[in-house]
Amino acid sequence: MYHTGSFIKGQSLIYNLDPRVKLAATICLSVFILGVKPLTAFVIGSALLFATLASGIGLRTIGQALRPLLFFIVLIFLVHALFNEGDALIRIPFFGISLSYAGLQQGFFVVWRFLCLMIAAILLTMTTAPSQMIVAIKFFLKPLKLLRVPVDDIAVMIMLALRLMPILLTEKEKVETAQKARGYNLRKSGFSIRIKAFLSLALSVLTGVFRRADELALAMEARNYKRGERTSLVELKLTSSDYFVLIFLGFFLVIFVALNSHFG
Amino acid sequence: MIILEDVYYKYEPEGIDALRGVSLQMKEGEHLALIGPNGCGKTTLIRHLNALLMPTSGKVTVGGCSTNDPTHQADVRSLMGMVFQNPDNQMVGMTVEEDVAFGPENLRLPTPEIKKRVAEALIRVGIPDLACRNIENLSGGEKRLVAIAGVLAMQPHYIALDEPAAFLDPAATKRVLDIIDKLHSEGVGIIHITHNMAEAALTQRIVVMNEGRIYLDGTPQEIFGKVELLKQIGLQLPQITELLIQLKESGLPVRTDIVNMEDALEQIRSLAGKIKD
Repeated sequence: MYHTGSFIKGQSLIYNLDPRVKLAATICLSVFILGVKPLTAFVIGSALLFATLASGIGLRTIGQALRPLLFFIVLIFLVHALFNEGDALIRIPFFGISLSYAGLQQGFFVVWRFLCLMIAAILLTMTTAPSQMIVAIKFFLKPLKLLRVPVDDIAVMIMLALRLMPILLTEKEKVETAQKARGYNLRKSGFSIRIKAFLSLALSVLTGVFRRADELALAMEARNYKRGERTSLVELKLTSSDYFVLIFLGFFLVIFVALNSHFG
Repeated sequence: MIILEDVYYKYEPEGIDALRGVSLQMKEGEHLALIGPNGCGKTTLIRHLNALLMPTSGKVTVGGCSTNDPTHQADVRSLMGMVFQNPDNQMVGMTVEEDVAFGPENLRLPTPEIKKRVAEALIRVGIPDLACRNIENLSGGEKRLVAIAGVLAMQPHYIALDEPAAFLDPAATKRVLDIIDKLHSEGVGIIHITHNMAEAALTQRIVVMNEGRIYLDGTPQEIFGKVELLKQIGLQLPQITELLIQLKESGLPVRTDIVNMEDALEQIRSLAGKIKD
C-alpha cells in the first residue's frame, strides 16, 4: 500500500545518510527557509531540487506526493495574489479585490517556500525507514530525559501510530464494504442519510480500531513490553559521508546567512 | 515445568468463573493440544501462562516462577511465548525484522544480540528472505510465521499458540504445522489450541476443556477413544477415526483407536490383504 510521503526502498547517498543528519538538515533548512529573502529561497529550492535528483526518488514521484496539496498551493497563491495592497493590474468587480504585481510576486514566493518545506519533508520520509526515523527522533529528544520526559514511550507511541494508520484505513474499507454488501447506496441517498451513514461508519471504524488497539496492547505486554528504556535493532553510526554533509550544511548555512543579509 | 494449581478466574468480580479449579502440569518439551467448545476457557487458560491474566484464586508457575509475583513477570514472559489468534493484531513493527526485534528490544538486549536473534528466528521459521518486507504486504500464512518468529526471538522454553492455522489455506496450514512440529523436535514445549481434531491428533497429549474445567486429559488415542464423552460436549473425532468406526460398525474387523493417517492406511492395507486371501 502506497501513501503520500511514505518510505520507498532505494539506494543512494541520501538513502545511506544517517537519519539524524537527514533530520537535522531538514529541520535547519525548514527553519531557515521561513526567514530568508527571495533570492536565498530560490538558491535553497535549487539545492533541494539537486538533492531530489541525487536521492534517486525522481521528480515524478515527488510530484505525485505533492498532488494532494495542490488545492492548498493554489489557495495560498490566490490569497496572496488577490489580497495584496499593490498597484492593481486587474480589478475584480463587486468584491473589492485586485490582482497586483506585488501580490503575484508575493504569492509566487510564499508558494515556493511552501513547496521547499514540503519537498524537504517528503525527501526525508521517502528516503528514511520509519524505524530509523524513530531512533533519530529519540536521539534528539534524549536531553529531555533530564526533565523526566518519557522519551522511549514517545518513540513507541510514534511507532504504534505509524503501525495503526494502515489498520485504520483497512478497517474503514472493511466497514464500507460491509455497508455496501447490505445495500447501502449513498450515491442515491439524501444529505441526512449520508450524515447518518458517515456517523455509523465512523463509530464502527472507531470501535474496530479500539478493539484492535486493545489486542495489540495485550500482544505487546505478552512480548515483555514495559514503559521505560528499550534497546533498538537500529544502530546509528556516523560515516564519512555524514560528516561531509554536516560540514557542507554548516558551510551552506554560513554562506546563506551572508547572502541573505547582504543581497537578499 | 508449567504447573497450574486449582486455578479459578473471573473476568468481572460479579461474573461467572471462566476457569473453575483448573489443575494441570506440563513438562518441558511436551506437545499438548488444548481443545474444547467455544467459550470453554482455552484462551483464558493460556493467557494465565504468560502472566497476562492472574488467577482469582490458585497458582500458576512457569519454570519455577510464579506469575503472581511481579518481580518474575519478565522471566515468565521470556520463558513462555504467546502467539495470538489474529496475527494482524499482534504486529508492532512496520517491517518483518522490526516486528521480530520487538521482544528482544523489550528485553534490553544489545543491538548485535538483537540482530543475531532476529536472523536466527527468521531462519527457524523459514522466512529469512522476508526480513525487510513490509508487514502489510504479507500473506496470512507469512504473518503467522512472523508472529511465531517474534516469539522465538525471545528464546522461550514454551510457546502457546491460539489456533495457529485458523483461516489458512491447506498449503499455509501445512507450513505452519510443520514449523510447530520442528520447534517441538528442537525441544520447545508447545501448547496448541485448536478446533481441528486432526491437528490435535498429531500432538503427544490432549487436554479437553469444558465450562472452565479440565474435562479429559490423555494421549490422542485415549481421548478419541472416549467417543460418547466427546459427543456430549459437541466435539467430533478426527475424520480418519470416524471412518474406521463406521467401517467397524459395517462389520469389518478394524481397530478404532487409530488417530493418524499412517496407522489408518496400515489398517486398511492389512484389511484389504485379508479380504484378498
